[in-house]
Amino acid sequence: MTPFLKNMLVIARRDFLAIVATPTFLLFLLAPLFMVGMGLAGGMGASQLADSARGAGRIVAVVGAGDVEALRAADARLRASVARRVPVLEVRIASPATADPVAIAREKGSDTYAVLSGPLATPRIVEREADSNAGHYLALLADDVLRSKAAGPLPAVAPKFEALSSGGTSIALQQSLGFGAVFIIFLLTLLLAGQTVSSLAEEKGNKVIEILAAAVPLESVFLGKLLGFLGVAVLFIAFWLVMAIAGGLIAALQIDPAALASVQSASKATAALTAAPATGWPFFLGIGFVYFILSFLLLGAVFLGVGAQAATVREIQMLSLPITIFQVGMFSLSTAAASAPGSTLSTVAQIFPFSSPLAMAARAATDDSKAVHLLALGWQAIWVALVIFLSVRLFRAGVLSGGSSWKFWRRGKRTAALATDATAAIIDRHS
Amino acid sequence: MNDFSVEAIGLTKYFGDFKAVDNVSLTVPTGSIYGVLGPNGAGKTTSLRMTLGIIDPDEGTSRVFGERPQAVRHRIGYLPEERGLYPGMKAREAIAFMGALRGLDWSEGRRRAATFMTELGLERVIDEKIRKMSKGMAQMIQLIGSIVHAPDLIVLDEPFSGLDPVNQERLEMLVRRERDRGATILFSTHVMAHAERLCDRLAIIARSQRRFEGTVDDARGLLPMQVRYTPRADADATAIAALLPAGAEPRGDSWFFPIEDADVEPLLARITGSGLGVAGLSITRPALHDAFVHIVRQVDASFDADAGTDAVEEALT
Repeated sequence: MTPFLKNMLVIARRDFLAIVATPTFLLFLLAPLFMVGMGLAGGMGASQLADSARGAGRIVAVVGAGDVEALRAADARLRASVARRVPVLEVRIASPATADPVAIAREKGSDTYAVLSGPLATPRIVEREADSNAGHYLALLADDVLRSKAAGPLPAVAPKFEALSSGGTSIALQQSLGFGAVFIIFLLTLLLAGQTVSSLAEEKGNKVIEILAAAVPLESVFLGKLLGFLGVAVLFIAFWLVMAIAGGLIAALQIDPAALASVQSASKATAALTAAPATGWPFFLGIGFVYFILSFLLLGAVFLGVGAQAATVREIQMLSLPITIFQVGMFSLSTAAASAPGSTLSTVAQIFPFSSPLAMAARAATDDSKAVHLLALGWQAIWVALVIFLSVRLFRAGVLSGGSSWKFWRRGKRTAALATDATAAIIDRHS
Repeated sequence: MNDFSVEAIGLTKYFGDFKAVDNVSLTVPTGSIYGVLGPNGAGKTTSLRMTLGIIDPDEGTSRVFGERPQAVRHRIGYLPEERGLYPGMKAREAIAFMGALRGLDWSEGRRRAATFMTELGLERVIDEKIRKMSKGMAQMIQLIGSIVHAPDLIVLDEPFSGLDPVNQERLEMLVRRERDRGATILFSTHVMAHAERLCDRLAIIARSQRRFEGTVDDARGLLPMQVRYTPRADADATAIAALLPAGAEPRGDSWFFPIEDADVEPLLARITGSGLGVAGLSITRPALHDAFVHIVRQVDASFDADAGTDAVEEALT
């Protein structure tokens, strides 16, 4: 093993143990539980709100007594074929005492999306919003009732439904998988890469950095730190992977097989369960993990470079904010790219180094070509090296006042000052 | 083997427009103890950092064992001025970690850490976390960490500051022992007593430049010896003044004046032949402290004079 690698491993080992061998690491490990808990609580609240809102919504049809049954039958028939959820239909029999449709639409206690009144051939439809689905649905109901009346009783259609046993995964589902990959990599990177910066701040605070800088190349310090934190990240992922697998197994043992079969019989659920990325699950998961590593290294190197410039925790927070915003920008770019595979936008996202790991992970879900990933990995690795190189130069210039990165500028400035002095002296001599 | 472990030539460093180090050269003979002396802010630490390649000089070069300092890091032990250890680490681990940074095996580092700590009477804190230690104790741990890999060159930046007299004594012992082992020691200090006792050679840096280089005796030789002569109580003051060199000052019942080596014997002959008697006589060589203060004051005076000239020139223009 080369001294450089050996030094890197010494730094990585120290950082890894310094984090893992502390009680606070347990809190960090369990952080997703808090996130999930908070998410569930928020989700339940939102769901309850949505349910209550949906429960109160309605459409109203004010028709003659003779049309009530036909209207209800038409509603039952059409409702099954309409993909969007249609508010509950409330049928009222028209009479002189029936309220005006506008008044009905404004009745309190429920959201009324549309009210139909008048003859079915020329109904008056009062809508909450112009050109609404609810209004069109009421018009469709009226049309259906009139057509049924005109045609007389027809024999019921007895369709025979057949499902494809293996229809492949839809593009939309593959895009969803791509989006999932982008989201997970973004979340993990956001959670873990930012930690590198605090480590460097700690070393600057307790003055260990000068010992490190004197003993080993700064490049190996930076890479060692990234490696140490990557180890923490991998441990974190492995822990939750094991937990997820164990949880899945336990759940599988607990769930009634009949219930599972009924779930699988539902077409949407079946599609979700059989969804596969274009490159296949093993490749997709493997390359996704590698892209996570590169995304982590890229962002971690940026954080280290920035952290190296900061002298206090406050400065670190101030400097970290733009990076986090930048990362959110990369996330947005990558999700946009994931939803438009093959577009110019997705190509840009795949080439731009900081969004490349995310966008390429999404590409692995929708595009079955594999060789392109090798190219992307090489490209991203070059950027990791470049960012570390620049971070080290910045660090030496800013913290240890090495000045190597500004040396030419400084020399230029001094040379200019000397030239000015010399010119002044010559002018003095001649005057 | 190189005659000189360190050959730093013409080191210059700017921080912004401030010239922190100006053309400083340090050549440290192999196997010697070499002191870099200077007042606070003179440029000692920056010089040492450039010598070790921790920061790049704007001008000049540094060679350690004939190579770039970065190429021989594993042969160097360094104790920076600003002490730094991981507070959560145990003493033994901290020392082993510092050894591992220089290529020493972890287990060997732990073993040597225990040996060093036992020798220095620190065995009771071997498995103590750094954060629980006193500043002086942590400093000793860091010192051990900087020599645990048996380096050929040991660079100590202000190693005695913050240590109590007992630990200062231990540190001096350790420095001598490392020199006897064959290591070259380069250390900075502004405490003259340590330098006087330890250094084979020394450099004095003041106002960013090296102002002196040589042995301790060379430094002391910069000033004449000091004579304190006490004549018989009834001796005539006019006769005494005529006997002694110009500039002799009476203080109490004694007279004080400087004297060159060559003038000592003629003076003794004059005194004994004068009949003024000798109630007391001492001739002392100036200490390193005196030489240091003399050099630094001379530099300060020349700077003040330059500043005055600049002010006059500025006023005239």
